[in-house]
Amino acid sequence: MGPGMTFSEPETLDEVCSLLSKDPEARCLAGGASLVAMMNAGLLAPTQLISLRKIPDLGAITSMPDGSVKIGAMARHNDVAAFSGFLGAQRIISAAACRIGHPAIRNMGTIGGSICHADPSADYPTAITAADAVVSILGSEGARQVAARDFFVDWLETTLEQGEIAVSVTIPPDPSNASVHYEKFTRADGDFATVSVAACLGMSDGVVQTFRVVVGGVAEKPVRSPEDEAVFIGRPLKDSDIVEFSAALEALCNPIDDMRGSADYRLKLMPRLISRALKRAQADQLVSDSGETA
Amino acid sequence: MTQEFSAVGLSSARRDSSEKAGGAAKFADDYSVPGMLYGAILGSPIASGRIKSIDLTEAKTVPGVVSILTADDLPDRRVGSFIKDEVTLARGYVRFVGEPVAAVAAETKEAADLAAQLIIVDFEDLPSVCSLDEALAEDAPLVHPGQDDYVRTSETPTNGNIFWSASILEGNPDAVWDSCDVIVEDTYETPGQYHAYMEPCSALAEPDLAGRITVRSTAQSIFYIQGRISDELDIPMSNIRCVAPKIGGGFGGKNGVSVQPIAVALARASGRPVKITLSRSQDMEMLRSRHPTRIRMRTGAKKDGTLVAREAELWFDAGAYTDESPAVLSFGMLCSRGPYNCPNISVKGHAVYTNKLKAGSFRGFGNPQATFASESQLDALAVKLNMDPIELRRKNAMKAGDHWLGGQTVDSCAMTQCLDALDERLKEEVSALPPAEEGWQRGVGVSGLSHISGLMGTSAFVNLRADGTVALQTGVVDIGQGSDTVLPQICAETLRLPLESIAYAAQDTDSSPYNWKTAASRITYTAGRAVMQATVEMRERILRDAADMLECSKDDLELDIGGTVRVVGADRKVSFREIAARAFNRVGGPIVGQHAFAFDGPRFDPKRAAMSNFAFDNLGVYVFGAVGVVVDVDTVTGKTIVQKVWSAHDIGRAINPQSVEGQVQGAVVQGVGYALLEELVWENGRLTNPSFMDYKIPDGMDAPSEITVMLIEEAPEATGPFGAKGIGEAPIVGVAPAIANAVFNATGARLTRIPMTSERVLNGILSL
Amino acid sequence: MTESNDIPIRLTLNKSLKSVFCKPTETLLSLLRDGFGLTGSKRGCNQGLCGACTVLIDGKPMRSCLTIAATCNGRDVVTVEGLLENGKLSTMQQALVDSGGVQCGFCTPGVAIALTSLLREDPKPDRTKIREALSGHLCRCSGYIKIVDAAEAAAEKAGS
Repeated sequence: MGPGMTFSEPETLDEVCSLLSKDPEARCLAGGASLVAMMNAGLLAPTQLISLRKIPDLGAITSMPDGSVKIGAMARHNDVAAFSGFLGAQRIISAAACRIGHPAIRNMGTIGGSICHADPSADYPTAITAADAVVSILGSEGARQVAARDFFVDWLETTLEQGEIAVSVTIPPDPSNASVHYEKFTRADGDFATVSVAACLGMSDGVVQTFRVVVGGVAEKPVRSPEDEAVFIGRPLKDSDIVEFSAALEALCNPIDDMRGSADYRLKLMPRLISRALKRAQADQLVSDSGETA
Repeated sequence: MTQEFSAVGLSSARRDSSEKAGGAAKFADDYSVPGMLYGAILGSPIASGRIKSIDLTEAKTVPGVVSILTADDLPDRRVGSFIKDEVTLARGYVRFVGEPVAAVAAETKEAADLAAQLIIVDFEDLPSVCSLDEALAEDAPLVHPGQDDYVRTSETPTNGNIFWSASILEGNPDAVWDSCDVIVEDTYETPGQYHAYMEPCSALAEPDLAGRITVRSTAQSIFYIQGRISDELDIPMSNIRCVAPKIGGGFGGKNGVSVQPIAVALARASGRPVKITLSRSQDMEMLRSRHPTRIRMRTGAKKDGTLVAREAELWFDAGAYTDESPAVLSFGMLCSRGPYNCPNISVKGHAVYTNKLKAGSFRGFGNPQATFASESQLDALAVKLNMDPIELRRKNAMKAGDHWLGGQTVDSCAMTQCLDALDERLKEEVSALPPAEEGWQRGVGVSGLSHISGLMGTSAFVNLRADGTVALQTGVVDIGQGSDTVLPQICAETLRLPLESIAYAAQDTDSSPYNWKTAASRITYTAGRAVMQATVEMRERILRDAADMLECSKDDLELDIGGTVRVVGADRKVSFREIAARAFNRVGGPIVGQHAFAFDGPRFDPKRAAMSNFAFDNLGVYVFGAVGVVVDVDTVTGKTIVQKVWSAHDIGRAINPQSVEGQVQGAVVQGVGYALLEELVWENGRLTNPSFMDYKIPDGMDAPSEITVMLIEEAPEATGPFGAKGIGEAPIVGVAPAIANAVFNATGARLTRIPMTSERVLNGILSL
Repeated sequence: MTESNDIPIRLTLNKSLKSVFCKPTETLLSLLRDGFGLTGSKRGCNQGLCGACTVLIDGKPMRSCLTIAATCNGRDVVTVEGLLENGKLSTMQQALVDSGGVQCGFCTPGVAIALTSLLREDPKPDRTKIREALSGHLCRCSGYIKIVDAAEAAAEKAGS
């Protein structure tokens, strides 16, 4: 951190974009959970910190008339975890949010900060990809919307250009009322995932209606294959299909060896956790089905 | 005396805990003084190299920089307790990443850090060895090519990077293997573990104009640090005053020096107070770890479970400097038989230099490694013999009067009682636990354990105040283990006073009586003895004066609780206050007591054991115990969770039961981390996980939700205060093998390497 | 000595209003320890991972080492020193003392903050809830058992 670093708390997003576009070394300060930790460790020395806390309503979580939920970039993990307006597959977001770090971190960290940091072992990237979410981006050149699976580009890299900021994440409605399960494997409590699986499973009359399974921690960004997911639609959920699906996903993986596990272990875990996540999601479907008939 | 106790055996709250809970307690980094500079240390970026030159030009231009030191500015001395191979700042060569090369003092922390980064060191890279395999390979590069020139306390033979080898032989194992009905043999590997005291190391050195210097630092001994600063910097001890602040945990990691000599050198160079506080990463890279080890072990037994023979060879990876390795190695070897009788045993051990941070003392001191091997073998034997694992241990358990490996007599021993207590609780409580979750398998595992309590010199002063209360002084630093409470309890009980009547002085080398270190589970036992004897001396004087005042014989007097001396069977009494007033003002002078001693217990017995190159010849009294665990193993991921732990301890006598329980529970969880989670990992000579992000220790969710502590007080130690023995280290010793044995019980996979990460457990299951 | 880019802030600290200049990079932990001499909050890792620096910001436990001090303008901050009630330990702090939940004491300030917050939100937490609230507070001495005991005891005392 250079002694010359400046700090500002603009009150409009336009101001933020303007500051960002003028200085490639400026950083937005959301909750600070990742950014300040990196600054403290000497890994990052921004020339300016642009605090987002004065931007009105940037932390709001809103149920929209079309059934979608719009989560402002400054929404804290604990607020997302506690939000009761998620329905069906949307609930994968809160299921993941409540597994992030520790209580004090969840009081600080924000969804915008988390997805912009783009750590493939973090919880939100995997969850918003499974939710088919859309990220709203504002820049000095205007606004644009990017599907979650296109938002993440590489290790710690997103599609954001200089001068752009992610302002909200919109979670589309799920008419199929799918069950969700977020299966996170960590070495220790509160750690980033070694491997995580976000599963959304909707079934009706014994056949699959919604099937989205995204894996985190096994590549530079969340791993998802819509083509392989499509195979499940309109059929009963079969173990053999899940095995094939996992094998297909493995071809998309690019895991690394690190303190959280070897690449080999990650590849071993992936099919096992996919299978467990789907079984648990399916069990939830059965419970909710029987609940409806009762 | 009656059975009633005034202080001992009561779970009095820790005396410093209110200040700590209120946030007022001052730890080393909490002190700031006027004019204080901040210190920073440049650590070596490479694992092995020759320093060709150091350029300070750019560093000196940083505004606020006051002093920069390299080895050239310090006395040319090598220091060390066993082998004098260490220097304060690297001189000519660096031997591990993080080794201090230069130090800066500046007006701000930022300026000091920046200047340290701007010091340009020109290194000639040299080949390094960063594991036992590399260090022991033929033609391996030597970490200390000049080691044969170092001053050593013992002329032990060296061999390449092996700088210390020792051996023990009892009986003749080679002659009896054929007579064994079952034999188990394996090789065990244990990791470098980081102490992870919550408080990173820190020192504040304040010079005065008369040439003296006061040091407040994170240390397990004020006297050791004083001596070490004197030795490294060639300053007489009379000019060094060490004062103990609150210490945020030690576990052996603050046993030796950390940054104190560097802070003192900077303070002397600048003439100003200097504080150095390490970042967590520096603390991990620069200081010490538990020794990584490899242990090959073989054990033979009869069909009925009677142990016949054991053979073990231990390799301790000591890192770049000797530090306390000869002692850690020797003690690990001595624990290679465990708390069991076995007539034929051969143990060989080697301490090996590598280009890594020093391995040093860490709760258990070589014993957890040896016990992991030993208790894993007993479990494997029990399986082969189809015998209950507790029964096998009971059959071979040591009893009072038996001899420890090496021949030392053990006078107090409740090993069998600990096993019985554990057995009973496991039988009652394991089946009552809620079942494992679907997909998880449950296992039960046990381990015996033992440790010492003792070593070295200590002393205590006590005096009676004018109002009949008491002032106690020792040189013992409370590092969080509770001596600030337990030692006054012993003093209070000896006088039948409540704890509140004892004032206990903070530790200061200018005024406290000598104590070696808060180490070796020794404080309650050794310092407790000194406190008790000093207090007895004072009590005798109190009784003598009371006899004069009451005009009776001293033998007719007894102490009532609360500071009164009474004539037995009569209503004639005199209070401590009256006795003190008389002494202060008229007769005999203030009433004081003092006691000093060095541990004087039984020694090794050369008639029983042939021993070579041991780092010590006696240790302490032995403590015993047994631990049982219930684990659940996720067969999908290999994740292992310790659900419940029962830990039974031959404590002799618990001076403060609540405090003892806290020590046991903390040690158990440190053992759970060691067994499942914690491992320092080096790649290309660099520690890859020097942070709590990458190096995980258990938090409250990872730790077992229940830890039942059983204090076995059936074998009081005759030489201990009120029968007490130490508890600091013993409870970590058996945790890893108990968990490994439980994982085997749950899955059939026998893991011989810790930590048993989920990955290793899953691979173990998949390779069955 | 202030510099041109120092930022003036006003915050409520342990119930009293404070005005202070802070550097753009200064964390709340540094401001508390070096600026206000409130050394109860500890720097155990400076990475938000040990929990020893935890304080209440607007009533919620947060890591002061990860909080840029300037963002505390207008906010309410309570440290372990601010938990005292009329100069005496609070019920939660006293329970930590009485239950043996304090050993070396370095994690204690953060633990006291986390458990105080828990009991405000959930006056009768079970042991699992207490352990969840302690999640992310590293303690190397106690094995956590007596800290959980303390929270239970404090809940009981407050409820009686």
